Amino acid sequence: MRKFWLKIQYTKWFNITKDGLFKENPIVVAVLGICSALAVTNRVENAIAMGLAVTFVVTASSLVVSMVRKVIPARVRMITYMVIISAFVIMVQMFLEAYFPVIAAALGAYLGLIVTNCIVMGRAEAFAVKNPMKYTFFDGIANSLGYTWILIAVAIVREALAFGTILNFRVMPETWVNWTVMALAPGGFFVLGLIIWGVREWAQNFEVAAE
Amino acid sequence: MNRVFKIVGFVVAMGVITSSLLIGMDVLTSERISRNEEALLQSKILDAFEIPYNTSNIYDTFVANVEQVDVTIEGTVVPIYRNPDTGSISFEIEGGGVWGPIIGVLTLNEDLVTIENVGILAQQETPGLGGRIVELPYLAKYEGVVFDPFVEVLKEGASAPNQVDAITGATSTSSAFQTILNDSYDQVVPAYQATLGGE
Repeated sequence: MRKFWLKIQYTKWFNITKDGLFKENPIVVAVLGICSALAVTNRVENAIAMGLAVTFVVTASSLVVSMVRKVIPARVRMITYMVIISAFVIMVQMFLEAYFPVIAAALGAYLGLIVTNCIVMGRAEAFAVKNPMKYTFFDGIANSLGYTWILIAVAIVREALAFGTILNFRVMPETWVNWTVMALAPGGFFVLGLIIWGVREWAQNFEVAAE
Repeated sequence: MNRVFKIVGFVVAMGVITSSLLIGMDVLTSERISRNEEALLQSKILDAFEIPYNTSNIYDTFVANVEQVDVTIEGTVVPIYRNPDTGSISFEIEGGGVWGPIIGVLTLNEDLVTIENVGILAQQETPGLGGRIVELPYLAKYEGVVFDPFVEVLKEGASAPNQVDAITGATSTSSAFQTILNDSYDQVVPAYQATLGGE
């Protein structure tokens, strides 16, 4: 069992996944895509929906970029990513509006704004365009799940403090006084900042000033 | 030259593929989306008329409890929804907001002057500022406000029966909403009265 574990630790896909989820987590380490992370995390269900939407867009657009990477002319590379990403975002939006109108309404403008989420473009340019599809798949999944779990973590704290519930289940005693600030943008900043600090401390990821 | 052709060819191919994917997706979802929009409108109207319903019987409750009066305004037919028990009417209002159209439902008392309820169906205002127009506590401020002579959305100090407080920090959205309310009212209500009078 130990041997198996050691072997896995040296596989490329394992390391790609670990980087995306923890070591190079897009929110905690690269601090990308925090606009939506602040905006939709006042309820856990919104965070989950946003996370899933981003997961789909990142994975699908990275895969397509990786698939056509050898035929994309270098000059129109950025605009190609943009077209691919927007197409997927519009599809996600239509899907949610058709089947989950309540969630689509709760995410509002942020759903369409996945187009501008730096993680999507970032993974396309930094990874997908240089790597084969099988690794791109792990990279896309890992990075977007890295984004998703931070969103859910932030949302659990915010929803519990702001509404006394998690996924609409009462978790706080009836006497709990809701912290309205947690439902607003400042609450998002506080919680996200604390989580980034905590995860970096835990992962011993410190930024070293250039000499 | 060859490289230019390659780029143009690539862009055209990409455009064709992505647009056909989007058209396909639109065909698959548009019917459901419009049904959802209709259900949202109906649920807002039922809310305004204070008729109880649940998510599975919106359509049936709506058909059973609300009567529809079609009014012709400048050649287009506009549906007006009427609660036969109380005489209050609901109709859709629409107009330009700051970033995109604001679409809502206005419900008037039987006197056709007093607002009973305002609901928002769609808007793209700035989240946290103009976007707060969807918040029920804000919309509740419109209840009881009268179109006499017109509804006025004021930055502060709304006191007269035709005045409402604006959304703090969202002056443009508030004044756009004022225009939408008054324009829709001026268009729909006289036409409705004319239709009733003609019957």
